[in-house]
Amino acid sequence: MKKPIIEFKDFGFQYKSQREATLHNINLTVYEGEKVLILGPSGSGKSTLANCINGLNPFSYEGKITGSLKIAGMETKDASIFAISKNVGTVLQDSDAQFVGLSVGEDIAFALENESVPRQKMIPKVLKASKIVEMEKYLLHVPYELSGGQKQKVSLAGVIHDEVRLLIFDEPLAALDPKTGMYAVDLIDRIHRESNKTVLIIEHRLEDVLYRHVDRIVLMNEGNIVFDDVPDKLLVSGLLSRYGIREPLYITALRYAGCELTEDTGIADVYHMNLEPYREKLLEKEKMKVERYEQEPGEEILRVSEVSFAYGREEVLKNVSFTIRKGEKVSVVGKNGAGKSTMAKLLSGIHRPAKGNIYIKGEDYRNYSIKEIGERIGYVMQNPNQMIVKDIIREEVELALILRGKSREEMDDKVKKTLQMCGLYGMRNWPVSAVSYGQKKRITIASMLVLEPEIIILDEPTAGQDYYHYTEIMNFLDDLNRKYGITILFITHDMHLAIEYTDRAIVFSEGELVADSPVYKVLSDDKVIEKANLKQTSLYELAHRIGSDPENYIEQFIAYERMIKENGRSTAD
Amino acid sequence: MAGQLLINLIPGETTLHKLTGTTKVRFFIVLLVFIIMSFDIRLLLPLCILGIVGLLSMKPNWKVIKYFFIITGVMNLINIFLFWLVDPDCGAIWCGGGSTVLYQFSGRFIITAESIWYLSVRFLKMMTSLVISMVFILSITPSEIAAGLYSIKVPYKICTIFSMAFRYIPDIARDFDNIKISMQVRGVELDSKKASFMTRIKQYVLILVPLIISSFDRVGNIANAMDLRGYGKGKTRTYYSEREEQKADKAAKILYCGLFLFCIYWIITKNIMPQPSKMWYPFS
Repeated sequence: MKKPIIEFKDFGFQYKSQREATLHNINLTVYEGEKVLILGPSGSGKSTLANCINGLNPFSYEGKITGSLKIAGMETKDASIFAISKNVGTVLQDSDAQFVGLSVGEDIAFALENESVPRQKMIPKVLKASKIVEMEKYLLHVPYELSGGQKQKVSLAGVIHDEVRLLIFDEPLAALDPKTGMYAVDLIDRIHRESNKTVLIIEHRLEDVLYRHVDRIVLMNEGNIVFDDVPDKLLVSGLLSRYGIREPLYITALRYAGCELTEDTGIADVYHMNLEPYREKLLEKEKMKVERYEQEPGEEILRVSEVSFAYGREEVLKNVSFTIRKGEKVSVVGKNGAGKSTMAKLLSGIHRPAKGNIYIKGEDYRNYSIKEIGERIGYVMQNPNQMIVKDIIREEVELALILRGKSREEMDDKVKKTLQMCGLYGMRNWPVSAVSYGQKKRITIASMLVLEPEIIILDEPTAGQDYYHYTEIMNFLDDLNRKYGITILFITHDMHLAIEYTDRAIVFSEGELVADSPVYKVLSDDKVIEKANLKQTSLYELAHRIGSDPENYIEQFIAYERMIKENGRSTAD
Repeated sequence: MAGQLLINLIPGETTLHKLTGTTKVRFFIVLLVFIIMSFDIRLLLPLCILGIVGLLSMKPNWKVIKYFFIITGVMNLINIFLFWLVDPDCGAIWCGGGSTVLYQFSGRFIITAESIWYLSVRFLKMMTSLVISMVFILSITPSEIAAGLYSIKVPYKICTIFSMAFRYIPDIARDFDNIKISMQVRGVELDSKKASFMTRIKQYVLILVPLIISSFDRVGNIANAMDLRGYGKGKTRTYYSEREEQKADKAAKILYCGLFLFCIYWIITKNIMPQPSKMWYPFS
C-alpha cells in the first residue's frame, strides 16, 4: 500500500492582499517516493501550491486557507513552518539569494546550525550531503567563486539532510545554461532514485524536465488542476497549447509531419520511444520542399575586428572578429563566463578593447564617448528593475533625451514615435509600478530606442518568462525588426529563442569565438555544442534516429516553422 | 572579489587564524579595554610589539594593509601636531606638573620633554589600537565574529547581521555596477571631468532608486530561504565555523582571563581613584 505524503482535500488559498483566491478546490495526493512535475504558465498558482506545501504560505505570505492539506499526515493549518521544514526541503529559484552561508560548507550546515546540532556531528553530515551533489571539493569556497549551477547544487545539499522526505524544486532551470540545466535534471533524478525521497518539480519548461523520467504531471491553470496523469497522456492530449505550455520540439516536428500521436509509443522519451508508426511520415515530410526565407544582406553597420580584452591579468576575450549587417537578428550564445557579457560591455563602450578595434558604420568607435555610443548601440539589461528609475512611463522613456539636452518639441516627437512603436502610447501616463514584467521590458527597450540606435543588444530578454510571455516579448521584438528594420543582438542561453527568432548564431567559448554561422549549423555541430555548454535539441535526436541528416533536418524544421508563423501573421493582419 | 576585501571569508592557516571565534572576540574585547584604560608606555609598548609580531605571523597581504598604516599614521601625526599647537606645554599636567624646556621657537611655542613624552605615548596608543584591530580583522571571518559574539551572550539574531552583511555587500556592489552601466549608456555622465560635483550627486541618486528596489526583492528571498531552513526556530544555535578548542585556545583563555583581572585592578586603582600624577613619567 502506497503511503500518501501530500494530501490536498478541497484546498483553497487566498492571499491577504488579493481579492480573489489564488488556489481553488485543489484535490491532489502525492505518494511517498513519487516524482511529480507541477506544470503551468506564470500566474497559474503552481508556486503558490508549492509554498503552501513548504509552509511559506501562510507563514511569510499571509492568507486564508480553506479545506485541508496534510504533509506526512500532519495538518498544515496547525503546524509551524519549522515543523514542516523537518519533512520538506525546498530549493528556491534564486540560487544567489538563498546562499546564506559565507562558504559552501557553512551554507550546507545552515539548517543543522538552526537545529543546534553540535559541530562534531555536523561535519560528517555536511560532507555526506556535499558528496551527494558532487561539491565535496568546494567546501571552503566562497559564493562569489561559484557558478549558478554550483550554487544551486549547494542549495540542494543544504536541504537534503536525513529526515527530509519531500524535496521541492521551484523552477530549478530558470537561471541555468542548457547543459547545466540538463545536468540538474539528471542530478534530481539520481537523488530521487537513490534516496527514495519524494520529488516535486515546479517548472514550465516541459521538454527540459522530460529529459529524465517523471511519474506524473500535474498541469495547473488559473488556480485549478486541469490535468493529473502520466506524461505520455499529456503529450497527446493537446492540452499544452491550450494552456500556454511549449510542447517539446520533437512533438512539434511529429505534428508537422502529420503523425497521429498515440500514448502507447512511449512518447515522453525521445531517446527510447517507438518511432516505427511515425517514421514513414517523418521521412516523407523531410523531402517536401519548403521555401527558405533568405534575408538580403544589408549594409555593414558593426565590425568587430580582432578584439582582445582582459580584466587585470585574466584574458576574457581573445582575438574576436565578426560583423553585423543592417536588419539582422543574431544570437550570441555560450556558457556563463565565456565572454558574452564582456562583449556586450565592449560594444556599448563601457569597456574598451585592449587590442583590436570596433567600427560602427565604418567609423572608429574609439572617437566616441559612452554617451555617443549609446546613441548608436542600445544595451538593454536582463532585469528591467535594474534599469527603470522614473515613476511614469513617458518620463522613463524621455530620460535619455533630457540627458542630452534636446528641445521639448524634438523630445515630444521622438517619445511619441517610440511609444507608438512599442505599443505603449496608450499607457504613457501610467505609473511604471502598475505594469507587468513584459511591459517593463518594453519600457526599457523603448528607453533605448528613443535614441534611434542602429543596433540594440538584449541580455536574456526572456529569462524567467513562461511561454506566453516569452512569445509576447519575442513577437514584439520581431515586429521591431521587420517593421522598423532595427538590428537586434540577443545574448541568450535559450536555444528555442535562437531557433525561432534568429538567423545567425555567434558562439563564444573561453573567450574565443568558436562559431559564427546559421543557427541550424551550430545546433548540429557536436564540437561547438560541447564547447559552448549547449545541448542537442530533441530534433537532432529525432533526425538521428530516423536516419536522416540532422543539419538538413533542423534547417527544414526552422524553415517550415517560419512559414507557418508567416501564414499566421498574414491571416492575422 | 574576495581578494580585494580586507576581511577573509575563509579562515587562514596560521596559529592565530586557527583560534576559535570565541577566543578571538573575547581576547579582542579584553585588549580594547586594556588599551582604552592605559596611558602608560609600560603597558602599551609590549602590547604594540606583540601585536606586530602577531601581525607578521599571519603573513598578511601588505599591499592592502599598507594603506591603513600610512593613512592612520599620518592622521595621528597631524592630530598630535594640532595638540601641540593648541597647548605646547600639554605634557605638564600629565607628567606631574614640571616643564623641562628643550627648545623655544618664540613666545609660547616651546618644546618640552614632558610634551614629547605625552604626545609619543598618545601616538603609540593610537597605533597600538590600529595594530590590534588589524590582527583581529585579519585573523577572523565574519562567521567567527558571529559565533564569538554569540559566545558572550549576544542574541544570535544580532550575530547573524554581521555574517549576512558580509555575505550580501558584494552582491549589492555588483548590482550597483550593473545599474551604473545601464545609466551611463543612456547618457548619465559620471566622469568627474565632464560633470560637476552637484550633477554627479544627482545622477548617483538616480541610480539608488533601482538599487533599493532590487535589494528589497533580494531581502524577501533571503528571508524565505532562511525560514525554510528553520532559522529562528530555537532559542539556541550552533556554528559550523566555530572550531573545537585547541591547546592554543586554552592558553589564550588563561591569558585573557588574567589580563581581564589585571584590567579590573588597574581601572580601580588608577582610573577610579585618581592620583596627582596621571601617567607614568620616569624623568620627574
